[in-house]
Amino acid sequence: MHFFSQSFQYDHPWSHVVIGMWRKYPNPKCTHVVSVDVVDRSVDPQTGIIRTERILGCKQKAPRWIVKLFGGSEDAFVREICFVDPATQNTTITSVNLSLSQFASCYEVVRYTPSSHNRTAFTQTAEIQARMALWRSAADGLEKWLCQRFEQNAQLGKTAFTEVLRALSEERLGRPAMAA
Amino acid sequence: MASSLSPECTPLKTSYDVCFNSWFEGYLEPAVSALQTADRAAYAKANAEEYELKCGKIWQEYKACVHKAIKDNGLEPVLQQAREEHPLATPPSSSEHRKA
Repeated sequence: MHFFSQSFQYDHPWSHVVIGMWRKYPNPKCTHVVSVDVVDRSVDPQTGIIRTERILGCKQKAPRWIVKLFGGSEDAFVREICFVDPATQNTTITSVNLSLSQFASCYEVVRYTPSSHNRTAFTQTAEIQARMALWRSAADGLEKWLCQRFEQNAQLGKTAFTEVLRALSEERLGRPAMAA
Repeated sequence: MASSLSPECTPLKTSYDVCFNSWFEGYLEPAVSALQTADRAAYAKANAEEYELKCGKIWQEYKACVHKAIKDNGLEPVLQQAREEHPLATPPSSSEHRKA
């Protein structure tokens, strides 16, 4: 089992971050994300909470031994469930891999909550675990590779989203966004 | 806008995303203040209805296209399994751990 976590602040109000969330892709810094689809969405008429279920399609080169052993391919799909609660100003996003799910699980939780001075706190945790009991070295190798890729993508995601929020901010202020 | 899993769904996805984003932006800022008060249920209900009115039709079309694409790509079984393992009908609590 590998754990990953990071947290930092975005210099934007919570509502701005949450609006920006839906505009993150496509993104030149996250070219591995090639498709995004909403498969379910509902607005709770009592609480006002918006629940969104999405499937993200990613294309990323897997090492040949992983492709051979686990039958993986370049296409990897992720299921993401997002809750936006305007009353408590909480956004929670849970993601789990659909591809290679019989071999390993990468379970990620992201939260956005307001912090002080028009800033938004971001926390991200992930648990990455190979499921199989046999071939410990293969399971370890798979877990390690998934971790490396996750950390890489987490960094890209942070840079990418920071840029999205900045451009969105310019747009809303009526000034043309600078070229990416 | 990113593309859809299936190219034929992309135009529907784009139209739906535009509709939702527009509704969402109008919803969010007043919702943050309204939902702190006793008006919460009334505001939420009115906005849920407005979402249905504005985006309901395009959502049904897009959803049908996407669900077919999911089937055609063989993703239905893993999606179903993932939904059973982690239904996530409500937000996870901060102390909740995922199932092993």
